[in-house]
Formats: sequence, structure tokens, C-alpha cells
Amino acid sequence: MAEKALHIVDLAKRYPTGVEALKGVSVDIEPGEIYGLLGPNGAGKSTLIHCTTGLAQPTGGSIEIFGHDAIHDYAGARQAVGLAPQEVNLDWFLTAEETLDFHGGYFGMPKRDRRERTKELLETFSLTAKADERTRTLSGGMKRRLILARALMHRPRLLILDEPTAGVDIELRLELWHYVQKINDEGTTILLTTHYLEEADQLCNRIAFIAGGEIAAEGTSDSLAERFGVANLEDAYLELVGRKELSRSHVEGIEEISL
Amino acid sequence: MSAAQIRFATLWRREVSRFMKIKKQTLGGPLLETFLYITVFGAALGSRIKELHGIEYVLFVIPGLVMMSWATNAFTNNSSSILQQKFQGAIHDQLSSPASPLELLLAFSLGGFVRGGMVAIITCVVAFVLVGLPVDHVLVLIPALFLVGFFFSQLGVLIGVRAEQFDDVAFAQTFVLTPLIFLGGVFYSATLLPQPWQTLTHFNPIFYMISLVRYGFVGYSEISIPLSLLALTGATAALFLFNLRLFSQGYKLRA
Repeated sequence: MAEKALHIVDLAKRYPTGVEALKGVSVDIEPGEIYGLLGPNGAGKSTLIHCTTGLAQPTGGSIEIFGHDAIHDYAGARQAVGLAPQEVNLDWFLTAEETLDFHGGYFGMPKRDRRERTKELLETFSLTAKADERTRTLSGGMKRRLILARALMHRPRLLILDEPTAGVDIELRLELWHYVQKINDEGTTILLTTHYLEEADQLCNRIAFIAGGEIAAEGTSDSLAERFGVANLEDAYLELVGRKELSRSHVEGIEEISL
Repeated sequence: MSAAQIRFATLWRREVSRFMKIKKQTLGGPLLETFLYITVFGAALGSRIKELHGIEYVLFVIPGLVMMSWATNAFTNNSSSILQQKFQGAIHDQLSSPASPLELLLAFSLGGFVRGGMVAIITCVVAFVLVGLPVDHVLVLIPALFLVGFFFSQLGVLIGVRAEQFDDVAFAQTFVLTPLIFLGGVFYSATLLPQPWQTLTHFNPIFYMISLVRYGFVGYSEISIPLSLLALTGATAALFLFNLRLFSQGYKLRA
């Protein structure tokens, strides 16, 4: 079997509170793919990501990242992953430059490599002028870009983007899409969670619907629409969550009648 | 340097850089506090008390203050740093790195250890210059101070990891640590206390830490030095192993 970028088998996570966030999830992501994970709030998307990156401890199943077991060979697995989390979790005490430099250090990058990579990423994400600013003084958009730059700092083979465009303006959203496409073109595999179906439609090679801690369906945007017998990904999603009455075609039809 | 060495050095550098960026608060404040204690208890009160067990009162007090400053700064630094990073979520950057539980624990511990050590060493140097603080038993003093610093670094990490709000850290410091330190004999000799306080003092672990440090500086002790060093080593090792277990389990760090 060819090495998968991410190979998850029967992943289960039950929190000490008794909440069963993941109930035997299996996912395979091929190297070079952009894989989308869609689902309502509380579906288990972030838990899956946290288990993959070591921020949560699975209660069952296995995770391999480019052949490294996430539990038994956690160092190898984590070295291969970069995480841009949903919440802005920058260290207030650090500047933008230090944020990247420290992250590179946590992943064992030598000083010269860190310096060059930091310079390159600050330029790529238009943050050079803010290099010496403390992170808490940056605007929301700059913080988002810095989080993405930080995730890329150690050149991960698998980049995980947990709702990267939540709450950002249209300009930044399009800018981030451009970055994601570029990073993928350069060979990085991407796992993307999002609430924006247009985003998944535009960027992802394959998409999985997750609901109630289980994978409900998986495929390309077209194959998912076909499977649910609807016109597009959004309608397939609405079918999944049992809210097909919210379909835009349905709403647009009503508007036409009332006009 | 290997990747693991770079990783550990960076984790530790992050902890030191945090307190160095706010050094007025993390170094200046504690130093001022220590010198105020020396002035009030040593100089002002010392002019009335003169000597305790044949030792000039100011010299009797300073070893306790040195120990206290290392202990409280190590504790405060580590508990605050970990809790702040937990609140911000910034700790996820370290936790999702390849760092092992041991590397993480040592790096978080050594931030406070270094800060406490800096305050304690500056206090010592000033005391050498101003009041001629002696060092009678350097081979007891150095291990005793290092063990005290490391013990309270571990305690700070433990409270920081367990804490869910700043109140939890403040409670441990204000209602547990500070009373134990003050009642451990920083400013007086336990032999001066009436019963049952004199006996009760011997149940306070900090009494033995202060006594060890005082013995190292001025050569006066009310306890068995080898036994106390052994007990302090054992307690520090036990606390370190307990913390390592918590870090390995991801207790309150990994969901």
C-alpha cells in the first residue's frame, strides 16, 4: 500500500465528561490532495484535528501521518504536520518574527534556517513591516496570516487548516484561498475544515461530511451531489443535516413566485 | 546542535524571554520587596534585637530572604506562565511540537528556576557588599539553594497545570505558600517560639529549607543537615516524577 499523507482508522474519542466526539472515524488522504472536512458545529472536526496533532488523546483507533504513528512515534508524526487552528492562539509576549522563530526552534530548525525561513514567510504573508510588533497589536487579518505562516514555518508535509477563513473579510478570504492553492501546488497536502461550502467546492479534491462524530459521506463535490440526488454540494450538505428546506434553489423559487 | 537540543533550548528560551520582557515586574519588583524586608527587619528591627544565637540579626534574616525570593519567584513565574499560555491557547504551539513530556516539563520548570535564581543571586551579592554576608558551608548552601529553587519550580508547574483560573494560583500562593514561608522561620528562630508552636514548626517543610540555607550561609542550624538534605532531595525528586507522570498523561494539557 502506498504511504498515505493521513491514514486514520476507527478513530474514537470520548471526553471524560462522557461526550463521544468521534465514533470510529476512518479517513485516508493521499499525498498532494486538498481534503475538505465539512460538518456542523460539534460534529467532531476539531476533535479529529486535535487527535491528529497531539492536542487530544484518542480513546480508540489509530492515526498515521506519512507512515508515523501519532501515538507511538509522535515526534515523527508531529514533525510532518503544521496546524493553523480555528482560534487565534498567538503568544502575546512574542513579536511576529519571534512567533515564527520560536516555532521553528520547537521543531528543531537550526538558527540560520529559521532566520531565512522567517524572512521568507514574513514577506510572503505581507508581514515584514510588522516583524517587530507584538502579536496582540496586529489586526485580525494579520493575526490570521501569521497563524498560517507559523503553521508553514517548519515546512510540514501535511498542513491542517481548521476553519482558516472563519470571520475574515472577503478580501482576506480570497487572499487565503490563493495562499492555500499555492502551498498545495508546491507539494503540501492539505486538510481543510470549513463551514463555507463554496470554499470546499473551490479548493478541495475530495470532501467528507462529518456529523455526530461519524463520516456520513465522502467523495468529490460532484459525486456527493449525485449521491444525495441534488444539484450541488450545498444542497447535498443540507440533505445531510436534514435542512433541505433551506436550499437556495428552493428559496429563490419562492422569491420568484412572490415577485 | 541536534534537533532535540535546539528544541529544548528554544522551549527554555521562550520561558526566559517572557519574564525578561516584563522585568520591571518579574525582577525589579521582587528585588525591591527583598530589600524592603532587609531594611525593615534587618536594619530597623535589628537595631533592637542585635543578635540571635550569636549571629547579627540582619545576617540571620538574609539567608531566609534569599531562600524565600528563589522559592516564590520560581513558583510564581511557572504557575503564571503556564496558566497564561493555557488561557491564550498559545501552549498548543509547544504541545503540538515533537517535544517529549520530559523536555516540556524541564523547559517550563527552568524558566522560574532561572528567574528565582537571578533575584536570589543579586540579593546575595548586594548583601555581601553591604553587610558582609558570610558563606560558611558552600557545599551545603549550593545544593540546598538549587534544590529549593527546583522544588518550587516544580510546584509552580503543578499549580499552573492544575489551575483553571488565576484565582487558583493566587490561592495557592497567598493562603498556602506565603504563610508556610513566613511561619517557617525566615525572620526568627523556632527556638524562640512558645509551645506548641515550636513543635508545630517542625511539621512545616519550609522550616527545613530555610534552616539548610541559613546553615550554608552563617553556620547556624537547629536540625540535622544530612537528613534534611536527603529529605529535600527526596521530596524534589518525588514532585518532579509526579509532574513528569502528569505531562506524560497530558493531564489538563491535552484533552
